[in-house]
Amino acid sequence: MSLRVAIGGLALATALAWGAPAAAGQSPAARADAAALFNAGTAALSSGDLGPAVLFLLAAHRIDPRARDIRTNLAIARARVEDIQGQGTRESVPMPSALALSASEAWRLSAALALAGTLLAWGSALRPGSRRLFLAASAAFAAGLLLAGFLLLRAREEARHPEAVVVAPVLEVGAAPDERPLPPYLLGAGEVVRIGRTHGDLVLVRVSGNAIGWARRSGLWRVADAARYTARSGSR
Amino acid sequence: MTGSWRVMALALSLAIGSVPMGLLVPRAVFGAGSPSGKISIDATLDRDTVAPGDVLTLTVVVRAAGLNLPAVSLPALPGVTVDRAEEAQNFSMVNGRVERTSTAVYRLIPHHEGTLQIPPLRISAGSEKASTSPITITVTRSAARRGGSSAPPGATPSPASPVPSPGSASAGTPELFVKATVDRRRVFWNQQLVLKLTLYSRVDIIGDPDVSPPSTAGFWTEGLGAPRVGRAARNGAQYTVMEIRTALFPTRTGTLTIGSARIRCRVARVTQPPDPWSMLAVPDVISQDVTLASDPITIVVDPLPRGAPQGFQGAVGDFRLDLHVDGLTARAGEPVTARATIRGTGNIAAVRDPEIRARGAARQYVAGSSTRIDRSGDELVGEREIDVAFVADQPGILEILPVKFAWFDPEAKRYRSQTSEGVKVKVLPGSFSGVIPGRAQTPGPVVAALRPIPGPFGTLTLDPPAESAGILGCSILAYAAAMVTGRARRRRFRDPRLVRARAIQEILDRDVARAHALASRNQSAGAAALAEHALRAGMSLRYDADVAGLARGEWTQKLLARGAGAEEIAALQSLFDSLAAIAYAPPETRSSGAKQAIAEVRRMLERYRRELQP
Repeated sequence: MSLRVAIGGLALATALAWGAPAAAGQSPAARADAAALFNAGTAALSSGDLGPAVLFLLAAHRIDPRARDIRTNLAIARARVEDIQGQGTRESVPMPSALALSASEAWRLSAALALAGTLLAWGSALRPGSRRLFLAASAAFAAGLLLAGFLLLRAREEARHPEAVVVAPVLEVGAAPDERPLPPYLLGAGEVVRIGRTHGDLVLVRVSGNAIGWARRSGLWRVADAARYTARSGSR
Repeated sequence: MTGSWRVMALALSLAIGSVPMGLLVPRAVFGAGSPSGKISIDATLDRDTVAPGDVLTLTVVVRAAGLNLPAVSLPALPGVTVDRAEEAQNFSMVNGRVERTSTAVYRLIPHHEGTLQIPPLRISAGSEKASTSPITITVTRSAARRGGSSAPPGATPSPASPVPSPGSASAGTPELFVKATVDRRRVFWNQQLVLKLTLYSRVDIIGDPDVSPPSTAGFWTEGLGAPRVGRAARNGAQYTVMEIRTALFPTRTGTLTIGSARIRCRVARVTQPPDPWSMLAVPDVISQDVTLASDPITIVVDPLPRGAPQGFQGAVGDFRLDLHVDGLTARAGEPVTARATIRGTGNIAAVRDPEIRARGAARQYVAGSSTRIDRSGDELVGEREIDVAFVADQPGILEILPVKFAWFDPEAKRYRSQTSEGVKVKVLPGSFSGVIPGRAQTPGPVVAALRPIPGPFGTLTLDPPAESAGILGCSILAYAAAMVTGRARRRRFRDPRLVRARAIQEILDRDVARAHALASRNQSAGAAALAEHALRAGMSLRYDADVAGLARGEWTQKLLARGAGAEEIAALQSLFDSLAAIAYAPPETRSSGAKQAIAEVRRMLERYRRELQP
């Protein structure tokens, strides 16, 4: 009985969480076309512009992470970036996982889990003797909250230090104007970094959580802004 | 003069900056590459045996295939002064493969005799690792080189002459004092001024003086080589002097203060024997710790005047710009390197590189940069180079545009700028095999085809969608409410009175209802027996006393003891009598009486249930 109630609650919560976006609707301006981004990335890949290729394909992968064509071309672009830099071999670059969820899907899953946990918790509250129902409610709700916490941390990191791709052939990362000069650190086209605060025309570049220096802002494009650089995406 | 002073004077013959990198003769090379050869590190010593205080040069060269050059640093070496004297980087591109080289020159000054061990220097890039072998240096006085020493201006270099005893000095002159001086007390922002900290001594100093430099908040500081040792006359007395020079560059305007420097040293004093005529009397030598402090110095820093030219990036001093291009012809796809060199007097390490641009280049790379600083003179001088490689894909003309550099000349109190000539490079048709750095080369896996139809659509931000956030928020509140509700219900269900009330309700729902059904089917005897059983059970629950199987007198006593009133006992006895009469009455009279009695039992039990509920 409890199991049937649990499954029913989970199904209802999932339907509510997944159906809500359609009912609520989203701002058209905030939505990007994965096909347009994929086509822009593939065109850049064919012409050898690895920076824009990685950027557009990474952006398309954010929207449609399970699409095989996007994963294939993104793996090829990354392999070429590493090949150009003399690091690794082409075979060593793995294809992104086919089991990934986009950010909005992950958020919906966390909402569905939390909602299912809530429904089951109410069922447990109204039937005080059902321990299995209470455990199922606690597990579903905790899973939803944990997933939401992880996604929140990821979103906060993206807000503070957005992911960006080097689009210049070679980008020099050095010291700020008022800092003691350092030997330049060179980033190649297609390398993925995170960026921090800005200083005039310069932006702080971070790799693996550490700030490595300042670089020209024009040499880095944010993944979140990728739709602005394509002609056919960004509207629906 | 004590041994340490003498050694210090000898070391000046190899003062920092006096040995050009290219003239060093390597004695030993310690290095190795990674198994794949993608990275390597070499450490080269100019010699492996030195005297204490002598300078030896360690050159560390790191090579890496690819754009990222692993960093290497020298570990702390006890008893050795380490100075990172020079650093240069190089960039080369052959057939689209990038190789970078970093060369760092360290000057090491060991202070004590013995064996000095430099542990292996390790680098890593991804899974690639390389390291040098351990380096052993023998430090012995027998390796001391004899040579001239650099002395402070106005002093007479005589490192080998003994220090006169205090007794031979002129009266009124201190034996030991320190003095801090600057060459100018009013400067512009970022203008160089030289701080000289001079220790004057007419007594023997044991060991090395311990120098605590003055606080220089608001200044960028650069040391000017090793201390200079010599002799000088002051107020008619001869002193041995040690001079430490530091170049200072103010980083803010206003009135800045150079703090007090402190020097701690141990001096040897010779006391005369009590009987000067005794041939056996030996002078006593006692040591004494002395701490000296210099006076603070106030510096007035003026801001730079208005009217800075375009391209001025804060350089202050006396500079010169040179532009050099490595060839006037090149093939398409081959890099052409333009080198801008800025040299002069000033804070060369803080000079920003001028912008080098070209017309007709498909791509450009910062191929390398280096800074060389000469600390051996009276002021900080040096040069900075920046190499930019331009690649033209098509034959034609590649024009390196004029490079401009602007700076402020503090002596003339005006801005200056210098613009180089533009250089035109003729680009010939390429001879390479189609390998273009930065471009995709041989196809690996098959590239997926373009998509003909749009979609799916989604957001590129990682923020939560509004509806998901809403559901999550509401879920958290609703979950909390469910927990509170469930807890309250569980608490209620654990109340013994409530448990008994629920048991009475079950009796009503099960036994009384069944008795009523039997009575409706004219099975009055069975209905009366069932109702009697239900009433007895309800009675037990109401008064929390087990009365099952007890005789009337016994349960009456028990209920009275549990607080039942006499009226209640009488009503129960009457009801039991009615039920007994129904059980034994003739069948035709039983039915209506049974229903009435069962209704009475129901009312009684419902009243019990209500009395037990909170």
